[in-house]
Amino acid sequence: MTENLIPALDPAPLPGPPWLFHLLWLVTFTVHLLFVNTVLGGTLLAALYPASRKGGRETRTLLVEVNSWTISLAVTFGIAPLLFMQVILGRFFYSATILVAWAWLGLLGLLMVGYYLNYVAKFRLRAGRDAGLAIWLAAVCFLGIAVIQVVISLLHMQPDRWAAVAASGWAALADPTFVPRLLHFVLAALSMAGALLAWVAVRRAGRGGDAETNRAMAGFGIRAALIATVLQLADGFWLLLALPEGVLRAFMRGGAATMVPLTLGILAGLGLLVLLAQIHDPLAQPTRVRRVAELLVGTIVLMIVTRHQVRDLYLAAHRAGEQVVVATQWGALALFLVVFLLCVGLTIYAVVRALRDRPAPGEQAA
Amino acid sequence: MDYPIWDLAMGGGILIGLVAITHVWVSHFAIGGGLAIAITETLAVRRGDPAMRNLAKRSSLMLILISTVFGAISGVGIWVTIGLVQPAATSALIHTYVWGWASEWGFFILEIVTALLYYATWEKVRPRTHLLIIWLYFFAAFMSLVIIQGILAFMLTPGRWLETGSFWHGFFNPSYLPGLVLRTGICLLLAGAYMTFAALRETDAAARARLVRLLAAFQVIGALLAYGGYRWWEVALPGSVKALFAGEKPILAALAGTRSFLLWSLLAFLVIALFALLVPKAQRWPIAAVGLLAAFAFFGGYERLREGARKPYVIRDHMFSNGVLVSEIDALNERGILAKAGWAAFGTTADPVGRGRAVFRAQCASCHTLDGYLAIRPLVAQADADMVAGILAVMKDQGAAYTPGKPTPTEKLDYPHMPPLVGTDEEVEALHSYLMSLKAAQVAAVR
Repeated sequence: MTENLIPALDPAPLPGPPWLFHLLWLVTFTVHLLFVNTVLGGTLLAALYPASRKGGRETRTLLVEVNSWTISLAVTFGIAPLLFMQVILGRFFYSATILVAWAWLGLLGLLMVGYYLNYVAKFRLRAGRDAGLAIWLAAVCFLGIAVIQVVISLLHMQPDRWAAVAASGWAALADPTFVPRLLHFVLAALSMAGALLAWVAVRRAGRGGDAETNRAMAGFGIRAALIATVLQLADGFWLLLALPEGVLRAFMRGGAATMVPLTLGILAGLGLLVLLAQIHDPLAQPTRVRRVAELLVGTIVLMIVTRHQVRDLYLAAHRAGEQVVVATQWGALALFLVVFLLCVGLTIYAVVRALRDRPAPGEQAA
Repeated sequence: MDYPIWDLAMGGGILIGLVAITHVWVSHFAIGGGLAIAITETLAVRRGDPAMRNLAKRSSLMLILISTVFGAISGVGIWVTIGLVQPAATSALIHTYVWGWASEWGFFILEIVTALLYYATWEKVRPRTHLLIIWLYFFAAFMSLVIIQGILAFMLTPGRWLETGSFWHGFFNPSYLPGLVLRTGICLLLAGAYMTFAALRETDAAARARLVRLLAAFQVIGALLAYGGYRWWEVALPGSVKALFAGEKPILAALAGTRSFLLWSLLAFLVIALFALLVPKAQRWPIAAVGLLAAFAFFGGYERLREGARKPYVIRDHMFSNGVLVSEIDALNERGILAKAGWAAFGTTADPVGRGRAVFRAQCASCHTLDGYLAIRPLVAQADADMVAGILAVMKDQGAAYTPGKPTPTEKLDYPHMPPLVGTDEEVEALHSYLMSLKAAQVAAVR
């Protein structure tokens, strides 16, 4: 029954080798996730930090200003992994999204509302007004997006659940890994945003910013990252043990390919915990704060690899008979590589030039 | 066709149209606006004109609030919507053009970053750097159009791709360049129309008139370019499409009507733009609003026409609007449509009416709803059993007219805008039983 509901493989050949699509998918997804974590965690932290407390208004202003860029970048860098993933797993992905069609479409509505609310908060804060409500509403929107993403991610790799979801949409939430996976997502976002906040506050203080305000901001960021990381370690084991038995067994038998990234990821998480616990005064320990941010990014990269491997194991039985034909479009692939390098180069050039070409005092500015 | 089916009362085509048309109204402004802002700020710097500078600055806020938020997200929205409504077609397009889309994404990175950077660096960088950023933005935005136009045009006129399967033959297809000229004109006219509202906020009357005239020039040039591009586009269409709406044999009256509507809208827009060009001091926001509505009507009409002209295909001469491939007609007639469309039978009964419902969901539901858009129930209510059986037989016979890899003269068919009916004789009979059950249900409801 289940196999009859899985659409046939697209008859068109793959326009490039599968490994290339996996590589591009993973690399672009990593960049996407770093921005997503900043947006989700940053908005949650901005909502949770009362504006009335020392550094509260500055924290909100910083995170909202950063998010007016990172939301766009998260969307932009979300396009590429979605594209490359569809080449490989389109028939699973489309089926899952159609089963929860309104939610999948609603994700874009939440994204648009959340983004505009961030602009409302940005302009209200710039005008010296309160922005708590706009930030809280934006946080609800971004949390809603996280829920939808996790639902679709779980559903696309479990065709055995499709019939139940087609009969009742609520069945999409009935997965033992749903809650730990969602928590894994949200806690990682909080850790990353906390580390980012602390890092920026330390840098600002080093450049002559108000020490007390920046100490409060950095302290809040480190505390948030510490609490989230403690919970993350517990949640990580919950998620691992909640995996379907067959998937967990295959994962454990995967040898170095699966166990090395997972073990390194767990060790990095433990290292992060130790590092965070050692920070008592962030302004006095700038190197350690920077290490936290670096280690966090490393941990996320390792967990992305593990996530990708778990997906493959979920789908292994359903993809066992795939007869993929590859007909690489060399010219079009070359076009992409040239355009990509050109555009990334021009983007970096424009940003660097904008940072450096500042008018001298008295000189005309744009 | 073998994907789950999203039962949408309004019809999937309407939803795609709503998302796509609102997106293009914004996305084309994002391109033309980039050029208009770049020219405006360049003139402001060269002439030391503060009014021009203010116009560029005000417009840049509009650009990021409309384009980088609504434009970017609704662009993804089109992709999401077609994936929900036409998953097989989306998969086919991605397999053919993933590197094209990936290239467009490269330009999109540059476009988004420079848009945000441009707005963020007012009063913070030297003018030459600010100008460089906006010209880079325009370059990226226009290049994304250069790429996406190839994929859009491919769906209507795949050209030699049908024989060769080559990326480049499909990309540089017969309606590629005409469509690019048309869309470039639309970018210019929309930029002028949107930015006129920003210009009207200028308090100095003489400066306001100067700005309005400059933007009117954009609109006039854009309208003329769009008209030329549109006419060229019509010439590039296959004979079968032209026969559908463009003159000698308007089989689909709604499409022929849309064509007249969009051309009259363009004329109305041109008149308003010429008025602003000749008498800029008299320009007021209600007149500008009417001009913008005319621009929306023209562009929305064109998109409606382009989508409608593709019928009965989603990729012309390759894939029908219900996801059936031209190349699989014979196989599906032999094996049966339900052998492939597993989801269509999900939740249906095994009796003839239940199987007929499954056949309907597999082949007809991508366009027809029961009671909403292109409702099937009122159609069968007007016909008796023999007539419906006759129509189904003709639609099944139409399958023989199609040859894989070759253009089909669809205008010669009895139902040129509908895919052929495929499946076994038993499935066609089951569909007949289902349609008759709808008729019976309606008669019972009336009584």
